[in-house]
Amino acid sequence: MRWRRILLSRFFIVPAVLLLGTGAWNVYVDLHAHGLLEGRVVDPAGKPVAGATVILSVHDFVTQVEKARTRTDSAGRFRFDDNPSHLIQLQAQDGTEASPRVTIRLWFRGQDRVVQEPLRLAPSA
Amino acid sequence: MRKLWWRHAALIVISVIMLAPFYWLLKTAITSENIYEYPPHLLPVRPQLFNFVDVWYLIPFPRYLFNSIVVSLIAVAGNLVLNAMAGFALTLPFVGRRSVIVLLLSCTLIPFQATIIPAYLITAHLGLLNSYLGLALPLLSTIVCIFIFKASFDAVPRSLIDAARIDGLGEMRILLRVMLPLSTPAIATNIVLSFIWSWNNFLWPLIITRSQDMQTLPLGLARFLSYMEDTTDALYAFVVMVLAPGLLVFLMAQSAFMRGLTTGATKG
Amino acid sequence: MRSRRRAMVVACFLAPSLLIFIVYRILPLVWNVVLSFEYWSPLHPATWAGLDNYQEMLQDDDVFWQALWNTLIFLGSQPIAIALALGIALLVNSDLKGATVYRTIVFLSYPLMTVAVAIIWHWMYNERGGLINYALRQLGIIHQPIAFLDSFAWALPSTIVANTWQVLGFFMIVLLSGLQNIPLHLYEAARVDGAPAWARFFRITLPMLRPSVFLCLVIGMLNSFSAFDLIYVMTNGGPGHATELLITYIYKQGFVSTRFDYAAALTVAQFAMLLLLTWIAHRAVGGNAGAIE
Repeated sequence: MRWRRILLSRFFIVPAVLLLGTGAWNVYVDLHAHGLLEGRVVDPAGKPVAGATVILSVHDFVTQVEKARTRTDSAGRFRFDDNPSHLIQLQAQDGTEASPRVTIRLWFRGQDRVVQEPLRLAPSA
Repeated sequence: MRKLWWRHAALIVISVIMLAPFYWLLKTAITSENIYEYPPHLLPVRPQLFNFVDVWYLIPFPRYLFNSIVVSLIAVAGNLVLNAMAGFALTLPFVGRRSVIVLLLSCTLIPFQATIIPAYLITAHLGLLNSYLGLALPLLSTIVCIFIFKASFDAVPRSLIDAARIDGLGEMRILLRVMLPLSTPAIATNIVLSFIWSWNNFLWPLIITRSQDMQTLPLGLARFLSYMEDTTDALYAFVVMVLAPGLLVFLMAQSAFMRGLTTGATKG
Repeated sequence: MRSRRRAMVVACFLAPSLLIFIVYRILPLVWNVVLSFEYWSPLHPATWAGLDNYQEMLQDDDVFWQALWNTLIFLGSQPIAIALALGIALLVNSDLKGATVYRTIVFLSYPLMTVAVAIIWHWMYNERGGLINYALRQLGIIHQPIAFLDSFAWALPSTIVANTWQVLGFFMIVLLSGLQNIPLHLYEAARVDGAPAWARFFRITLPMLRPSVFLCLVIGMLNSFSAFDLIYVMTNGGPGHATELLITYIYKQGFVSTRFDYAAALTVAQFAMLLLLTWIAHRAVGGNAGAIE
């Protein structure tokens, strides 16, 4: 019966809940962290753009480093397979047109994400 | 009875003043606005939690947390063992007991900060710079906690102790089997006080650590502030994450904490 | 035989703790005193310096006097904090519903890391994002933001406010426990005798609180040492030396300029001041640490 008091005391329940929560979160992260990043590029009129270059750069507090480039396929879609970071910027370029830099913040490193808003090209001034 | 609302009103005003810094910190950590523009908003704008993700990955927060936990564990364990033994010894009659008590009481007047230079030199001689043991060593025993144990042991009925002696129990067994089980509030207070003091300690790690991966949380916080200064609002998320464990422990153990301070206070 | 065995047991039980205190409290104190009379650096052997360090401290060092003055102001703010805490303790010390909640709220700031408190208040005083400037401007009290921590006049009071916020809860708890130890029958007798509330306060409450007040004063004085964390992070002694306390100056002399001998002299000076002030407080509460017969 002393064991029951210990088990029910907040000094046991709170750390136990924290540990269980941390374990569950880690499991979730492992299942969803493949570094997959997908999105689309559209032109100013809204039509998908094929063959545009998309640049992925990785950020921390002070630096930003270009990490990977890829081209969009015929449907204007692009895909990165090994995003290592949680704080990244995407920019699309096609000839003289470029999209604004889009910052993407993830919940954990390498989270799989499908970017909903397409990268919209605009003529550079 | 008729003045009750007046007291409540005053206490509510005081509570708001005391809680305002907490709220402002939390609001700054989760708001999406540019915090360096005037005027700031009173409520968080589009609250988001991504600052916490940044802190977790871009600052060695897990490492600092680990260091703090290890040092605090050593300090708490050491405190329990050393203080219980010393408190017990002070309940036994022996020659020079009064002098030892006076000596210990006068040591409480020597603040830690007045000893930093020689303490640093001693620790350097012992070769314990930049090590967990070196970080925890000055905190391994505290006088207030010794007296808390002593007061608790003094309250144990003599009959129990005498019975144990007649049964032939050695002193260590008496401590473990008779005194400690009856002193759980003192143990709880010891744990909480020594944990808080070692967790929050800043000056000693500042002096002792030589490499970044031995730094504890307070040190990591100060270091982050010193080289990032006012440029990022992730600092405030860092502060929230640093305060969370301490606040959690305090809220869980607050009655023990406050009781410990008052008994330590009146005995001191 | 039994008493000798007991003496051995006592010695064994006391030894570890005493060792820690001797090595990390008493020995450093003595070492500081000795070091203050020497010229010493880790690379050269010690040479006797007599009173040279103290002479430099008192005659040539302006920063020392500034730091001393700042420390005295800091110490002077502690009784104000104690008075405020007494007010809160009186409010909370009743059969008020939720008194424990109020108590916890006021005390919440004490177990926080002082480094974190410093950062929080540093932000509170910020000219653009800080709550204090925002509130003052919204209330129309000022029209331009005040850079509190960068101004020579406001920096020290600002840090004092932050420090008061943190220690208020501790003083309140100590005074509260003192209040709750006052026997009620004294109040009853006074009420029967027709004494008004303020007389009851000054004749019964305050004298019975002497030990608690003495403890708060001592803790307040030790606070001038432990305020290192707050000052170091909030202002690092600046602007200029407007918030330099003796303890931050000791740190800078000892670990930034590596003048261990001079820093030891400063430490001895501050410790002597602490002893003196403790003795004065001791007399002020009527001797015997305020204990009541």
